[in-house]
Amino acid sequence: MQIAKKIGILLVISILCGCSNAVTRVSIPVKVQSEIDITRYSNFAVLPFVSEKQIGRNEELPPEIGEEIASILRRGLARQKHFEVTSTQETARLLTGETVESDWLSDTKRLSELGDYFEVKAIIIGSFRFNSDSRPRRYYGERYSVRRQRYIMDYQDYMQKTYQLSLRVIIVDVETEQIVWDESYRRNTAEAHTIGSFVFSQVGPQANTIRELGKRAASEFTRQISPHYESEDRYLVN
Amino acid sequence: MLKYKLASIAMIVCLILSGCAGSRDVAQTEAYNRFAIRAAQAQLWNEAVFRWKQVIDINPKDAKAHNNLGVAYEALGKMDEAITAYQHATELKPKNKYYRLNYRRCRIHLRRSGGNDEDIPQEEEEDPSLTE
Repeated sequence: MQIAKKIGILLVISILCGCSNAVTRVSIPVKVQSEIDITRYSNFAVLPFVSEKQIGRNEELPPEIGEEIASILRRGLARQKHFEVTSTQETARLLTGETVESDWLSDTKRLSELGDYFEVKAIIIGSFRFNSDSRPRRYYGERYSVRRQRYIMDYQDYMQKTYQLSLRVIIVDVETEQIVWDESYRRNTAEAHTIGSFVFSQVGPQANTIRELGKRAASEFTRQISPHYESEDRYLVN
Repeated sequence: MLKYKLASIAMIVCLILSGCAGSRDVAQTEAYNRFAIRAAQAQLWNEAVFRWKQVIDINPKDAKAHNNLGVAYEALGKMDEAITAYQHATELKPKNKYYRLNYRRCRIHLRRSGGNDEDIPQEEEEDPSLTE
């Protein structure tokens, strides 16, 4: 009787196992279209980015950093087969005697005229804000105590310096004078410092950090406006 | 008496044989399906398509083979074939949430990429792994 009961339970379990559908999740590549009309906006001129005026918050930066961000963006866009970009040299030549100021960002008429002059379909312009924030932090860990002959809880104080770049990118349609894209991209990175290295970091150059963050922000923008592949989950039934 | 015994034995043998034939097909399709899933996990989508097509040749009403074939076609970028395969799967088993989910995601993707699929269900997408 007992054996018959056990067999019955086993049978029920095996039937239940057989009835359930095991599923395998797989990632497949899916093509994501550009968020702008790439048939219309196929060639761009990228103007130097302007530093946002913000009292006491922006780090001291060399004036050419805006042009460097624009160059990063030009290189990123030029790698996409759908886009043609006016080269850095050509942009500098055509902008001789002009300085891109923050009031240009809203002056679409002027940008449109400039676009005609550059013979492009759209103008890319933008601004950036770079700042850093330092806070003392405590890291808890373990260290081996020779005196006590065992691992003991220990901590270490350090300064965490966080750099943040906020990049605003605007695309202006040359023909209609309309803003077709206006997005901000925030990127940040953090460094751990001892008191000594923190002092040096305060006075040292920050151009490399801003360049690196600029690259990341520009690549996000480029990805959004060009067709690309992303992976998406699907379910295979066993 | 002997006649009845022989007849019943013959009947049992016939039943067993017919059952075996059916189970051989099932075993074969299961093996193809398992192999195809391994191929798909290794991103060998063409091989997986070939296997799932074989499964459908053996049993055209195998809903999971249609569903899996749809996934493979989608991975290969053959969207029309994928939609057809998903349609077959959902027609054969309309209540299976995985088939519906794959089908819905494929159609959403098709619409985003400029396809003309208009009547996408508006219901909230659920992740089956969270519900089961």
